[in-house]
Amino acid sequence: MLADPGHYDYAPYTGRPRIVWPNGARIAVWLAPNIEHYELEPPDNPRKVPWPRPVPDILNYSHRDYGNRTGFWRMADVMAKHGVRGSVSLNVAVCDHFPEIIERCCQLDWELFSHGTYNTRYFYDLSEEQQRAVIADSRETIRKASGQTLDGWLTPAITNDETTQHVLAEEGIKYTLDMVHDDQPMPVKVRNGRLISVPYSLEVNDVPLFQLRNTPVERYTAMVKAQFDQLYAEGADNGTVMCLPLHPFLIGQPQRIAALDAALAHIVAHDGVWLATGREIAAWYTEHYYDAVSHWLAAGTPGGRR
Amino acid sequence: MSGPSSQKGGIPDYLDYPWRRRGLDHDRFAHRNLPQAQPIEWPGKARVALWIAVHVGHFPMDMPRAPFVAPGGVDRPYPSYWDYTQRDYGNRVGIYRLMKVLDQRGLRATALMNSAVATRYPALAKEVAASRWEVAAAGVDMGKLHHGKLPEAEERALVARSVEDLRSAFATKVRGWHSPAHSESMHTLDLVAEAGLDWVADWINDDMPYAVTTKHGPLTAMPLAWDLSDQRLLFQQHMDTSEFVEQVLRAFSTLYGEAASKGGRVLTLTITPWVMGQPHRIRALGALLDRLLEPAGMWPATAAEIVDAWRACTK
Repeated sequence: MLADPGHYDYAPYTGRPRIVWPNGARIAVWLAPNIEHYELEPPDNPRKVPWPRPVPDILNYSHRDYGNRTGFWRMADVMAKHGVRGSVSLNVAVCDHFPEIIERCCQLDWELFSHGTYNTRYFYDLSEEQQRAVIADSRETIRKASGQTLDGWLTPAITNDETTQHVLAEEGIKYTLDMVHDDQPMPVKVRNGRLISVPYSLEVNDVPLFQLRNTPVERYTAMVKAQFDQLYAEGADNGTVMCLPLHPFLIGQPQRIAALDAALAHIVAHDGVWLATGREIAAWYTEHYYDAVSHWLAAGTPGGRR
Repeated sequence: MSGPSSQKGGIPDYLDYPWRRRGLDHDRFAHRNLPQAQPIEWPGKARVALWIAVHVGHFPMDMPRAPFVAPGGVDRPYPSYWDYTQRDYGNRVGIYRLMKVLDQRGLRATALMNSAVATRYPALAKEVAASRWEVAAAGVDMGKLHHGKLPEAEERALVARSVEDLRSAFATKVRGWHSPAHSESMHTLDLVAEAGLDWVADWINDDMPYAVTTKHGPLTAMPLAWDLSDQRLLFQQHMDTSEFVEQVLRAFSTLYGEAASKGGRVLTLTITPWVMGQPHRIRALGALLDRLLEPAGMWPATAAEIVDAWRACTK
């Protein structure tokens, strides 16, 4: 076992090369709807049991299924109303199971990136060859369904193994979301190739908030606004990234959808906000800042409090 | 420190996907995207059907802990008077408060009833009948779960016992089924249809009814709320009564708005005597019902009434 992921060196949140987003924007905001399918009868994995109840766990299965039947459509309408695109964290088998969902995403000009094949197929204990096979399947499935290239990655249920980030880089993935260690993109140390991390969030994320932390619905809007307001303020000095992960089975419920509507209304009312996709953030960062930040890291993070 | 490593052989057959195809990974019903569902017209062109579903359960003090404990089930060491008597309070006191609040407003609920409640407490069954509530079978008791490891013959006997005992206790027709704790085996839906029932409320994947296939004919699935139930918000998630009220009103507002252009919707108010029937909550329930009944186009209905109206539209 490793004591540390080994993918990045310590980088203080001060003295960093200054990031400015396109058109002088101070914050890049991106929305990551997780469009998932959880299987009714998934295979066993040595490190994670898919369902809390014996198969068929129809309560938890059908709760997630709500997202694809019902919640997704409501969520997509609210995002379209505010002119905010999604970058879909996609269990790519959804392209086969529910192609109408993918059609709607493409119609709205959303990015598709991979969240593995199913959310019940974990990366724990997979060989590198098996990990490569899943990535290749994702690349081909997304290309066939949308014509898009596969640029981003979030391991299903964030069950990456020690080697996953290395394999991602070798397979040509440009950005990973498996690490939530920063509010800016960062170079990821991999054995071959080039990979960056783009900020995801386990804080302003509807799964931990509504499933684990019992968050009242109005409190959700307040937290998203507070997250935005702080990153927006800090972005005046050095550009920040805010990710709002979404799960249609939760945020798309009729009692919650207005909370997203209110949060997005707050965000889009500000100037200096770049409403971007994951791919666009990764490309801008890689082109303009990857080298500068890498040099700063290699030089021992000089600078500091000004 | 050693470098990163991975399992050389991986997990055999882990990347086989036997159900990767168009539609769902089972054959119980077809996938449906709600915006593409046929628009429904409720009686009187109502916009929202208000379904009040009441969990009426019996929690035996010696209930098994495996394969899992139903929400609200005994989770303290035996003999847990703490758990047993607090649930039993619902059947002695709480449900009479619910019946009074509903009666005062001319509302009828659907009781999702464990048959043990009817056999143990005939006086309560009489009162429920007098309030003209619909009664749906919800298994025998909360310790007798339907689940994937239960032999089919045992499960068939449980379904039969539940349905027969409730049919002898109530003169009105028992048509619906709810599995204790929303838990099913692969056979439950077939067994429910075999017992002669015609609607079921276990899966929580939709806001509207839909048709389910079984070996013994179709069932209509009803959208019983779980993420918006009093047990979920008030008991499991420790929220305030005011938050429960707020969320129900928000759900109402979304569904009522959608109904203007997309056809009738169902708002399910899922409540429990031992939760919502507590003295400190009951007035909030009355006030919530008054708010929900205020707008034009509300149709308070039982599950059976909603099922019949939905079928008439989707024939």
